[in-house]
Amino acid sequence: MATMENLTPEIQHIFDAKEKRRKDLAALPIAEKVRMVVQMQRMAYPILKDRDPRACIWKIDVSENKKGCKTP
Amino acid sequence: MEKVLQTLNSLVEDGVLGQYAIGGAMAAMFYAEPVMTFDLDVFVVLPHQGLLITLTPLYDALQKRGYEAQGECVNIEGVPVQFLPAYNPLLEEALKEAEEKLYQEQIPTWVLRVEHLIAICLQTGREKDKDRVRHFCNEAQINMEYLQGILKQHGLEEKWLLWKI
Repeated sequence: MATMENLTPEIQHIFDAKEKRRKDLAALPIAEKVRMVVQMQRMAYPILKDRDPRACIWKIDVSENKKGCKTP
Repeated sequence: MEKVLQTLNSLVEDGVLGQYAIGGAMAAMFYAEPVMTFDLDVFVVLPHQGLLITLTPLYDALQKRGYEAQGECVNIEGVPVQFLPAYNPLLEEALKEAEEKLYQEQIPTWVLRVEHLIAICLQTGREKDKDRVRHFCNEAQINMEYLQGILKQHGLEEKWLLWKI
């Protein structure tokens, strides 16, 4: 069985790409990150609404044409 | 989000809050990748804070602005905001040394420094705090000398050695 110390180059490439993706996300403007959070809330709300009383979708304007946001 | 921050700033201008700084997941997002959250944690210093810490004047001021409490939070412009008074020396220091940042390059706000966020995670000690520390270590620019000073001051060095990557 493969361990974290014994990864094939293909799997290592996937992990490296994931790491790069995290760093790219970390470097985004904060307003873009907020837009992504609201998107995550939209995705999670139907799943969590019955078991997490905090589950909600922020009712804020996250239109993509605002400064600092990108159109998906 | 702009309206939320403007409301927080107006609370400081009107003397309802002595100081505020964003903490929790939203603060983490200023330094690392976005993470799922449902509320905005805001640490506050209340003016003329005596022995009894009460959020009642703050809640009253928010109600006058049309923002109602919903459980532990106050819904401000569509975002549940949880106000947390600085309840220990680490949080008091974190608030005092919070950084001013611009949201959308326009609206000033205050955010806890990443080094204090790490120390707060260590002090709180939940599994999700461990994850957050890992994200900070991978993604944030950490002033290690500054962090070491905080950890020493608040007795968190041992836990840092266990948690850091």
